[in-house]
Amino acid sequence: MSDPVRILGVFTDEEECAEGIESLRRAGYSKLEVFSPIPSDRVLEALALKKSPVRVFVLVGGILGALSGFALTIGTSLTWPHVAGGKPIISITPYIVIAYELMILLGGLSGIAAFLLFGRLPAAESKIGYSERFSGDRFGVWVTCGPDQTGRAESLLRNSGAEEVERETA
Amino acid sequence: MAAVPQPDYHEIDRTVMRTLEWPGWKYWVWIGFLFTVVVWAGLCWVNQIYNGLGVTNLKQPNMWAMYITNFVFWVGIAHSGTLISAILYLFRSRWRTAVYRIAETMTAFAVMTAGLCPLMHLGRVWFFYWLLPYPNERWLQPDFRSPLVWDAFAVSTYLTISILFLFMGLIPDVATARDESTGWRKFFYGLVCLGWQGSDDQWRHYKGVYLLLAGLATPLVISVHSVVSWDFAMAQLPGWHSTIFAPYFVAGAIFSGCAMVLTLMIPVRKWLDLEDLITPWHIDNLARIVLFTSLIVTYSYLVESWMAWYSKDPFEVMTFHERYFGPYGYLFWLMVFCNCIVPLLLFSAKVRRNLTLLFIISLLINVGMWLERYVIIAGSLATNFMPSQWGFHTPSVTEASLTAGTFAFFLMMFSLFARFLPIISTTELKEGLRWLRQALRQESAEAA
Repeated sequence: MSDPVRILGVFTDEEECAEGIESLRRAGYSKLEVFSPIPSDRVLEALALKKSPVRVFVLVGGILGALSGFALTIGTSLTWPHVAGGKPIISITPYIVIAYELMILLGGLSGIAAFLLFGRLPAAESKIGYSERFSGDRFGVWVTCGPDQTGRAESLLRNSGAEEVERETA
Repeated sequence: MAAVPQPDYHEIDRTVMRTLEWPGWKYWVWIGFLFTVVVWAGLCWVNQIYNGLGVTNLKQPNMWAMYITNFVFWVGIAHSGTLISAILYLFRSRWRTAVYRIAETMTAFAVMTAGLCPLMHLGRVWFFYWLLPYPNERWLQPDFRSPLVWDAFAVSTYLTISILFLFMGLIPDVATARDESTGWRKFFYGLVCLGWQGSDDQWRHYKGVYLLLAGLATPLVISVHSVVSWDFAMAQLPGWHSTIFAPYFVAGAIFSGCAMVLTLMIPVRKWLDLEDLITPWHIDNLARIVLFTSLIVTYSYLVESWMAWYSKDPFEVMTFHERYFGPYGYLFWLMVFCNCIVPLLLFSAKVRRNLTLLFIISLLINVGMWLERYVIIAGSLATNFMPSQWGFHTPSVTEASLTAGTFAFFLMMFSLFARFLPIISTTELKEGLRWLRQALRQESAEAA
């Protein structure tokens, strides 16, 4: 079986890049990787990616944070019952403040942890296909396909407005 | 008519990367001056730790006075950063893109500064960890019913989340700086951005977590200053024991913070040559928030006074009478002038576009908001229930030095950040490029 080929289309415009991705996907190309200097909604929509799972981590972290806030405060009060100002030993209302803050703290920390995990960061080495111009003013669309599909992919990229199309054997 | 600037992605990068070039001698003189003030304040603090709080002249009943005034002031300053970066992000407000990094940086350093203030106020600072729940052989824990413990949790959460939020925003911008640099800078920026490359998968997770962090930071910012206000409102002291303190403090915090953003942004814009990125349109919008929050703060002052009068509580009435006409009365009226009268000038579009005037107004608001906290704290503590317990605060050299030290520390950290990390978000400016171009076109048309 012949090796797959990687083709790069470089775009200067976000909209043209998104159109290029859409036309490639319509033509059946599914192995796409895009580098962009901005978090473009348009490009992400064109790629039709699933929603990030980080939100589940934030939710779970938030719930655990709130529960740990209540566990800390109630557990502490029961371990060392201290009557102050005639208030109940377990005073839920003030404990809500602690639980609320810990909910936000752990929710945020788990979100960041999930982002680093799924985004594969920190990364010591550049991803294959990354170019310094993709953090500046260019959008790069990499298509991985069989050698017999390259011609069509190249013409789709050019027709969408790619300023540069090049081929690389993977 | 001058040609309208038409910035593109490359132009934005070029302008922001120029701010990261090695600064000249004037910058180092400025940093040296601030560092000297910080060192002086540090020496005063060491003296205070060694000899005790007596060197400050702090005595009953006015033990909180300037240190806690500084704490509330700096926590308040922090709030507008989160407002601009998180709340306006959720509302998709377009003008925030050019100013939010300045505001967010201000937030992170203001919370750090605020965190130092209660430590300065501790007689035995080496026991600061008693506020935190930690395992110990007697199972002793802090009283979670105390607002001071809430404060420790709220402020440390706020510090953590603000730094994370600032860091998240920085990642793609620092990646741009890495790709534009060489040598040790490339290495340094490569470390800071964690090897970011902006692939679709990274952006997908980035956007997800950024939105959620903004969603978490928004209720957090409201809670933190509410908790700070409860340090006072939970006490029985006349002048403090009030149900309006939480919204009143939050509005005041955003008011003072936006004024501080103006104070920082106007010189930064000029000195770092960022006129084409931070336009009068951005500044005008910020000035409108200052005006709006000033009106809320004015309303709060009126309601607070009205509540004291309506309660017919003799202690409340006396406290407010003292606040207006007592020994600190002149500070109260100066505060009213700075916070209620001066911002009314911002109703005029001409004033909102006059940067010199705007800078002076923002400085006056900073003074006014510091005075507000001082009037509430020192003023209310001075006149307790029993005249035999009354006592007025006179600032000492130690307190004044440490207060100056907080300002110097904050400005030094901000100045260092502004020259070594991107003080404007290139990523978000590129994302909202058409709004920036529209603002520049409008500006040019108005100038013509």
